[in-house]
Amino acid sequence: METDFSEPKRQSAAGVAVMFADHLQRSIRVLVFPIILLLVRAKGMNHWYLIAGFLVFLFILIIYSYLSYLRFSFFLDEEKQEFVIQKGVLSKEYISIRLDKIQQVNINQSLIQRIIGVYSLDIDTAGSDKKEASIKAIDHHTATILRERLLNRDAPDTEAEKSTDEQSQKSEPLLKLSTSTLFKVGLTSNYGASVALLMGFIFAIMEMLKNYTEAFQLEENPIKALSTEGLNLFSICALLFFALLIVLGTNILRNFIKYFDFEVIKKKAVLAITSGLFEKKHTLLKPARVQISSYSQNYFQKKLDLMNMKFKQASFGSADEDDKDNKKHDIEIPGCDENERDELLKMIFECIPQKESTFIPNYRFLFLTIMLKVVIPISFFLLVGWVLPHIRPYFWWIIPYAILVAIMLYFEFAHHRLYLSKDFIIKKSGIWDVEHQLLEPHKIQGITTKQYFWHKKANIGHLVLHTAAGTIHFKYGNYAEIHRMANYWLYYIESGKKDWM
Amino acid sequence: MQDFTNETLDIDALPKYEEVALNALNRKYWKVVLLNISIFLFILAAGIAIVLFFIEELSPYLYIIIGTYLLFSILLIVLYLVSIKKIGYAIREKDLIYKSGIISISTAIIPFTRIQHITLNEGIFSRMFQLGSLHVFTAGGISGSITIPGLDINLAKTIKEELNRQLAKVD
Repeated sequence: METDFSEPKRQSAAGVAVMFADHLQRSIRVLVFPIILLLVRAKGMNHWYLIAGFLVFLFILIIYSYLSYLRFSFFLDEEKQEFVIQKGVLSKEYISIRLDKIQQVNINQSLIQRIIGVYSLDIDTAGSDKKEASIKAIDHHTATILRERLLNRDAPDTEAEKSTDEQSQKSEPLLKLSTSTLFKVGLTSNYGASVALLMGFIFAIMEMLKNYTEAFQLEENPIKALSTEGLNLFSICALLFFALLIVLGTNILRNFIKYFDFEVIKKKAVLAITSGLFEKKHTLLKPARVQISSYSQNYFQKKLDLMNMKFKQASFGSADEDDKDNKKHDIEIPGCDENERDELLKMIFECIPQKESTFIPNYRFLFLTIMLKVVIPISFFLLVGWVLPHIRPYFWWIIPYAILVAIMLYFEFAHHRLYLSKDFIIKKSGIWDVEHQLLEPHKIQGITTKQYFWHKKANIGHLVLHTAAGTIHFKYGNYAEIHRMANYWLYYIESGKKDWM
Repeated sequence: MQDFTNETLDIDALPKYEEVALNALNRKYWKVVLLNISIFLFILAAGIAIVLFFIEELSPYLYIIIGTYLLFSILLIVLYLVSIKKIGYAIREKDLIYKSGIISISTAIIPFTRIQHITLNEGIFSRMFQLGSLHVFTAGGISGSITIPGLDINLAKTIKEELNRQLAKVD
């Protein structure tokens, strides 16, 4: 086995197949609707032309894949401490990644790669550049060694690697998700995401049905017929019941596909995480790289002693928003109990963070949110009703809405807490899913304190902690206390030598 | 519960960021802002004039429109004037403080050790008055960065060099 990465290397020969599959998949995804339309509309055309065209297309794809395989090479520049990838068929692309910017190296396996027996290696950087740095086909041994090289540039000792390899095979996993835990997790979490997924799915189907009725010039639209016939109470109940079943079902299924065989193993100073039913994911997590750790739990999960953990890493380009790209850097542990959580926290922080002092937001927390979410929408609704009389029969909706929102806001207020100890900041928040975010003061990038001018007398203010993995807010706190905290953390950051990454 | 102490450190004896005397922006910055506002208002006026010219039904409301426009202009100018007055910055030995805001008064602090890079921007109007704005970036993204506008260009350059020197010292 080759372990020398100083010379430009190609991917495994099987890479051609992976690239071909990749290109094929991508082009099919783009072309599927034009092709279907072509088939439907051009009934008179000779089918042989279509088949010939398809074959030519496949042939071009094969050549293209082969060329992109030939042009793809990677090497490790020890002198400059850079990892270099060269690629591109028509235009050449040259990606160089500084080793100290690498956050995380993942070894993944998609279904196709699993069939062929290769892995992909994805490099995750803290840089703002969103260039994709991944090797699509590499054998497992080379991938593991390359990963070690990329991550532990200080100690590339081959013997040490071997011993850790052996160790890892023997060592007991720190955490292993059983099927029943996965089932429980699927039942109790991520309702929002599943509902969104389901809605997206339904809309896609409806859109497609619409397209087809138009394409085939059907006279009867099944959806329209359904809506004109009207739904009685019974069918609505049945529909809701089915929707609930489908949501739970998709939730459980999604969890199984994503987290099947989920394992966390402690390797020297890093955590190795593997999971996946079809697509195997291997992730190495360096505790020092974690910016914000968090665990969350809802009411059901609390009863089951189950919680969801998340480790957020630095992502410069997306530190501001919780967009999808940010999630890529997150490492999620779907289910663990209290003991396992403490073990994991010990791995990350070397001790279990304690809540030594508690800070509670002022009751004025509720004023503005009630104004924004209850009073203003309701008055707007009343105003619209005053102008348009046919809305008036729906006025009674205001009561359940106000009650629901008030309850939610109350819980948001009751869960909004800040706990501090000498070396930790713990922020609790959430309405249904109650999340604890844990942060070490030396991971703070900047502090902002805010105050509305009418809160000066009441001595109330807000605190925003900026980190490389997002911000943490504490609202409506005692401003004098916030000043003290900020001064302490500034002292902590500026007097200490601890680096944030 | 509410008092946050620990054994070895007296937090009240620490330097207090909220009591630091802040520097105001250069007076000339007001002229730059005024120039920008007047260009905006001019374009707005031109747009309204074109709309009035082409849609004749609006002509009875001419005075109302002009009145609203004037009111809006005055409000905009006053708002900017107050907000510039409220801006203050300070450079301490180990961090940078920037305070701004009318309704919500916010103070941002960035320790030198967390600065990723610094840029100095000179707009067209700023250059006319020898001013520049200093952007200080951290790994905390846009929300975690500070922009100090309206600095004397020489002062801004000195600050930038000084900060860069501090950064080099940390590495």
